[in-house]
This record gives sequence, C-alpha cells and structure tokens, in this order.
Amino acid sequence: MTAAADAGTVAVERAPARRWSNQVLNLYLVLFFVYLFAPLLVMSAAAFNSYSYPSVTQWQGFTLKWFVELTRDERLLQGLWNSILIGFGVIAVALPLGLSGAFILTRLQSRWSGILYGVLVSPILTPGIILGIATLIFWRNIGVAGGLFLAMMAQATFIASYSMLMFMARLQRQDRALEEAALDLGASNFMVFRRITIPFLAPTIFTAGVIAFLQSIENYNTTVFAIGGNWTLVTEIGSRFRFGLSPVINVIGVIFVALTVVFAVIYVALKERERRARAALVG
Amino acid sequence: MTELVRSYGRPLTAIFIGLTTLWILGMILVPQLFMAERSFWVEEKPNDISLKIDRAYADLSTMKFDLARAEGPGKDEIAGRIEAKKREIAGLEEQEKQPRKVYTMRNYTRMSALHFQIFLRTIFYAAMVTVLALVVCYPVAYAIAQVATPRRAAFLMLGLIIPYAINELLRVYAWLMILDYQGVLNTMLDWIGVTDLATQQWIPFLQSPGAVFVAMVYAYILFMVFPIYNTLETLDKNQVEAARDLGASTWRIHWRVVIPYAKPGMAVGCIMTFMLSAGSYSVPQIMTRGTSGDWFSQTIYRQFFESNNWNNGAAYAFTLLIVCTLFIFLMMLVFRVGVRDIAR
Repeated sequence: MTAAADAGTVAVERAPARRWSNQVLNLYLVLFFVYLFAPLLVMSAAAFNSYSYPSVTQWQGFTLKWFVELTRDERLLQGLWNSILIGFGVIAVALPLGLSGAFILTRLQSRWSGILYGVLVSPILTPGIILGIATLIFWRNIGVAGGLFLAMMAQATFIASYSMLMFMARLQRQDRALEEAALDLGASNFMVFRRITIPFLAPTIFTAGVIAFLQSIENYNTTVFAIGGNWTLVTEIGSRFRFGLSPVINVIGVIFVALTVVFAVIYVALKERERRARAALVG
Repeated sequence: MTELVRSYGRPLTAIFIGLTTLWILGMILVPQLFMAERSFWVEEKPNDISLKIDRAYADLSTMKFDLARAEGPGKDEIAGRIEAKKREIAGLEEQEKQPRKVYTMRNYTRMSALHFQIFLRTIFYAAMVTVLALVVCYPVAYAIAQVATPRRAAFLMLGLIIPYAINELLRVYAWLMILDYQGVLNTMLDWIGVTDLATQQWIPFLQSPGAVFVAMVYAYILFMVFPIYNTLETLDKNQVEAARDLGASTWRIHWRVVIPYAKPGMAVGCIMTFMLSAGSYSVPQIMTRGTSGDWFSQTIYRQFFESNNWNNGAAYAFTLLIVCTLFIFLMMLVFRVGVRDIAR
C-alpha cells in the first residue's frame, strides 16, 4: 500500500470524527448563548408583570404601568442627568489625555517607553474601587469632597487609558510618508498636525468619545466611592436593591437591553460591511 | 524625544508631555501614593487627655468657690491661679482637637480575624471565577475565531457584544431574580417537588456565597472571551490544518498549536477577570443586598462610609491593590508573556 493511499484512509476515517466534534462544539455554543441570554429575558419579562415585587414566577397580568412610574421617578431622572453631565466631562478630560499619551508612546524611541506604557495602562488593570478611593483621598487633601466632579475625575483616569489604546492602534496604521512629504514641502508642524494627523484620527476620536461616554454612564464600582452624597443613574439603581426594589428597575433593564441590541446590531453590521468591502477589494 | 519634536514641533510636544504628566502624576501615581501613605498612620489621641481636662475643670470650680470666699491679698493670688488653670485647659483642649499623627503598621496588623477571613474568601472566589471562566470561554473563543464562517462569526459576535454591553448591575440583577426565594430556580424545583413555595420551604440560595460566585461568573465571563478571541482570530487556519493533516489528534493540536498561540489573550483575560472579581463591589452588594456576609470590597466600603476610618480603609484598599499587582506578575510568569502583550 502506498503512502498516499494510507493518508487517504486516515482522512476518511477521521472525517466523521471531525463532524462529530463540530457537533459537540455547536451544542456547546448553543448552551453558552442560552446561558448568556436566558437571565436577561427573565429580567426583561418582569418589567411587564403587574406584581409589585420584581418577579416572573408570580405572574399577575401584563402591564405597562412601571414604564409610566419610571417617568415620574425624580431621583432616577436626576441620576440620569448627573450621569450625562459626568459622561461629557469624562469625554472632555479623557480624550485629550489619551491622545497625548498615544502621540508620545507611538513616537518615543526610548528604553523608558515600556515603563511609561505600563504606567499609562495600569488604570485598566487596577480594580475600579481603588481608583475611586485613591481619587477621594487625594482630593480631600485639597479640600474637595466626593461628588460629581470627583466621580468624573476617577472615571477619566482609566477611560483615558482605553482611549489611548484606541488611538495607538490607529496611529500605528498611519502612513508616515504623508507627514514627511508635507514637512518637506514646507508645512509647519502645527499645520501637518491640523491638516493630516487630526483628520486621520477623526473617526477614532468619534468612536473613542462614544465609548468613553458609555463607559462613564455604565460605571458603578469606581463611581460609588467617589460620588459622595450625590448620585448617578447607576448608583441610584445600586441603592434600590437594598431599599425599594421594584419593577421600575426592570423597566430600565428593558430599555438598556433594547438600546444595546440596536447599537450592537448597527456596530456589527458596519463591521461586516467593512469586512466584505475589504474582501471584495482583495478578491 | 527628537522624533516627537520633529513630528509635532515644540509647542505641541510640550502640550502632550504636559497633559501626560498631569495624567500620570495627578490622576494615577500621586493619588495612589496618598492612599498608601494614609494607610501607614493613625490619629492618636493621648489616652488620658480627656481625664486631665475633666480634672482641670473640677479644680477650676473649686478655685472659683474659694475665690468667692477669699478676702484681702489671697484673693488676687487665687484669681491669678484661675487664669493659669484656664490657659492650661485651653491648651489641653487644643491637643484633644488635633490628634497626633503616628506612623505605624497598625492598620495592617490589626485586621480582625473576621476581616482577614473575608479577604481570603474574596481572593479564593475570585481565583475560582478566573479558572472557571478560562475553561468555559476557551472553546467559545476558539469556535468563533477558527471554526465558524465569517458571516456566522459576525452573528455570534453580536451575541457576545449584547450581554457584554448591558450594564453590570442589570446582569447581576437578572441572577438575583433567578436565585431569589420565590425566584425562577426555586419555582422550577417546586414543580418537581424539591421545594414547596406555598409553605415557604424554599432553598435560600441568596444566603450562600455560591450565589455571589454564580453571579460573578456571569458578570465577568465575557472579559475572558474577548481577549482570547482577539488573539485566536489572528491564528492562521492553515497551521491547524497542517497539524491535522500531519496526524495530530484534536487534543494535541490544541495543546501544541492553539493554546500556545492564545497565551497572551489568556493572560489578559485572566488578569481582567480576577481583577474585576476581586474588586467587585456591585455583585456582592446586589446578591447579598447587605444582609448576609460581607465581601472584601464591602468591608472596605464600610471602613470609609460607615466606620469613618479612612486609614484602615486605605490599608485594606492598598492590600487589594498589591494582591492584584502580584496576580498580574503571576500571570505573566505562568503564560510567559511580557508587559507589551498585556492590554493591547
């Protein structure tokens, strides 16, 4: 028997085994996604139950009254407004910091750049509560107590690191020849920056801004330590678990789920279009 | 540096350096140094000072009594002594108001047995969450990155992004509803006759640390999937094909080709999952609803906002920071990756 025939029989023997292992993998994926989504469905369903304690098992009829109740909930609405304020503050602080860090790290050729990189990404790897605590202690020495401002500063500390990583990824794909050419043709550094670098970064600045805003709104662990006597939407939700748990929280959950699904579908659709455009270009 | 100035010119370079310095010093390093510094001292009030003040006041009233009765030259002398006593009291009271700052390790060494137990339990559960998440997520990341067709992978990614983007609190809340006394799980057990909700014969899942564990796995598992997926996405499928054609078993392909390639992603996933679990305030706060035993993050919170003992709180927070930092180094050692591979 030849070697080729040998390999052939092995392949034939192995094919069903491979199909079988793919089936197992598919089943595993199905289970994993059920695990991810079933709890969210449970939570969403309870928003429509007229029973006043959030539950799906004690079903007392379909209702939309909790949605109405949410619009009357002053504290939650005020919290949402505070969250939005903090979110814009975070964009204003974190993006310039992230940009500066990215510019320095992509151009600095030094043995210190490794350490600098480590320090600048360290907020991502630090537990959120510690960022909140450190900010609280630091500003107390200057006489600033916990509140919206400190929540914004504490959040910006690590959100700036995330934006920096996004800017670095973009800058690494920059074609330096364009800059060099502009400089050779007599453009000033500032002009190159304004006419070449910033337009090149513009899409990333937009994405980083949106992501910074969302991360800020979502944040709980850092905010809860730095917010003092004030509150955001999320810290208010957090305190409701101890006192006054009601299906209004589930309504917020439904709204979050709906918004997330819409945004995620748009995001993935855009990426998929981009991928297909690139594939068409190559193919 | 010259490269930086050449690209952006002096003024812009100065702005970049200035902002980055502000960020590093004002937001990252100095606040953490302040936190560390605060953990190394206590405010000490001299023990006997309030006793001394009480005694001085008693003396003062005796003198005033004497003064009312005294006559002649003795009166001035007593009045003089009263003034002196008043000054002494003022001095003592000032001391009482401004406690002495004493540098000590006491905030660390005085951690009570209960708090230490909470600390160990938190770290233990965080490590368990990390291991479980790694085992569960590796096949998922592999399936999406390597096995699925591009269209299907995009669809599956959508399925990962949606729960990932939904607020952490709401994700944990979903598990609160499942494990609640009359929640989904107890109701299902009621159907098969294990529990009986009508007579309140339910299983109190929420009172065990297991409930926090389950919710933590759910809350942070996706932080493991994405880093592994990101590395595996760049693995050339031909490498796996080649190994298979050369007769390697599925197990061997993973052990020798896929896992070594995925190591940086695994390290990042483990670091993120562990850090989030060990420092999570939201999950235990929601699942225990402040009723059953604390987790370390809750203990820290209480030091700050209930016992009003910031120094102790700072010491606990610093301990947590050190554990998380050590864990990063441990992972770099275990997976043999460098700083640059982490948090890319």
